[in-house]
Amino acid sequence: MKKDRKVRLRVFLIVWIVLIVGLLAAVLIVGLGRGENESIREAMRDLVLHDRNKISFFGLKVNPAVGSAYIVTAVLLIAALLIRIFAIPRFKTVPGKLQAVIEKAVDFFGGMASERASRWVTFVSAYIFSAGVYIFFSTVFELFGIQALSAESRSITLPAPLADINGALAMGVLSFVVILGAGLFSNGPKGALRVLKDFSLPISMSFRLYGALLSGLLVSELVYHYVALSFVLPVIVGVLFTLLHAIIQTYVLTVLVSIFYGEAVEPFKKKNKKRSRKNLESESEGVKE
Amino acid sequence: MPLNIDFVQILLHMLNFVILAGGLTLLLFNPVRKFIEKRQQQFEARDAENRENALKAESARAEYEQKLAAFENETEAIRLKIEQEAADTAKAYIDSAKAEADAIVAKAEADAEKRKEQILDSAQTEIGELVISAAQKLLADTATPERTQELYDAFIEQASGTAGNKAGQSKAAPAQQNGGSPRNNQQNGGSPRNDQQNGGSPRSKQEDSGS
Repeated sequence: MKKDRKVRLRVFLIVWIVLIVGLLAAVLIVGLGRGENESIREAMRDLVLHDRNKISFFGLKVNPAVGSAYIVTAVLLIAALLIRIFAIPRFKTVPGKLQAVIEKAVDFFGGMASERASRWVTFVSAYIFSAGVYIFFSTVFELFGIQALSAESRSITLPAPLADINGALAMGVLSFVVILGAGLFSNGPKGALRVLKDFSLPISMSFRLYGALLSGLLVSELVYHYVALSFVLPVIVGVLFTLLHAIIQTYVLTVLVSIFYGEAVEPFKKKNKKRSRKNLESESEGVKE
Repeated sequence: MPLNIDFVQILLHMLNFVILAGGLTLLLFNPVRKFIEKRQQQFEARDAENRENALKAESARAEYEQKLAAFENETEAIRLKIEQEAADTAKAYIDSAKAEADAIVAKAEADAEKRKEQILDSAQTEIGELVISAAQKLLADTATPERTQELYDAFIEQASGTAGNKAGQSKAAPAQQNGGSPRNNQQNGGSPRNDQQNGGSPRSKQEDSGS
């Protein structure tokens, strides 16, 4: 009986390895000629500028990142609805795994806001929570490699929404508007002026996001462009340039928003002006580091 | 626009995020935050209740210890009082018993003395009677006028000697005060020795009568 099992195991392992090697060879032989249709330069340029492969969005020709963004939003809203209907009513005092994850996320972003902001904490907590969830999942979205048809009926892989400069700018500008509005409502025109002095804020926030995510996308595209590089390496690249970027950029943007928001809603005091500015700079430098 | 920046697409991204933010806030963030706050309030209420209970327990313990100490003090005081009372009562009993015993002893001594006197008196009477009877017998055997006279004389002398002794004893104290001594009185009124020499002692008489 034992001998039969050993023989079967050997046969299985041999067949398995032969299949793997054969399929690898086939992929390499068949795939070597591909990619010449679109040069690496063209692919990179398209990823940065999105001037070739557009998708149709309710009649509008837009970058594929817009479609990615709405897909991410739809998935997240459906998931939230399911959690609201099925999970939240069953929440217990001692949380289970799912409950612990959700509570941790809410508590993390809510705590981040309440630590620094003194007014409208719930509002900014909700904003930071939404921004964090959106940045994280929209970055991870890239890993799934969802295919779509371009307006020219080409098959394209949907990129991360924030790897598009328009998506990153939207996020940065929206965050700036939230901070500016909080400063205006909190301290009047003086508060708004204080925020407006940091006019580089939306640009820095946007391009930080855009640069970080685009760099990951470019590296991934570079790896995927060549079939020979498409084994094992994508796993490392995916973890390094997608998962870590997702976590880091989520943390960076939410922390920056909470810091600037806290600064904007802080009661206006002349004496504390220089000091708070210093604190802000040191904190933002610390975050950048 | 440089970098293919498109305001329509920026607005589309903003719209997308506003929809997402609103939906997530309504569906996920607010309910979970409320749940967390409610649970925190429950924990705080429980914590406050526990602290209150701990304070109550502490005060009850302090009160109990205070009461216990007071009770112990009271018990000690009662014990001391009872011991004192018992000691007093025992002492009273002992004193009473002692007094009673003294009284009994004194009474017994008095009774004994009285009895002794009575016995002595009756003995003297009996002795007298015996002497008389003996004398009568003797007289009956040897009754001569001379002998009778002699006996009367002896008797009278003896009687007077006895009276003289009693008188001498009663006069001994004043005599001592006056400078005299019982010996003088004895010399003057006759001493028992003289009596014995003259008439013999009661014992010798008894022996005589007996013989």
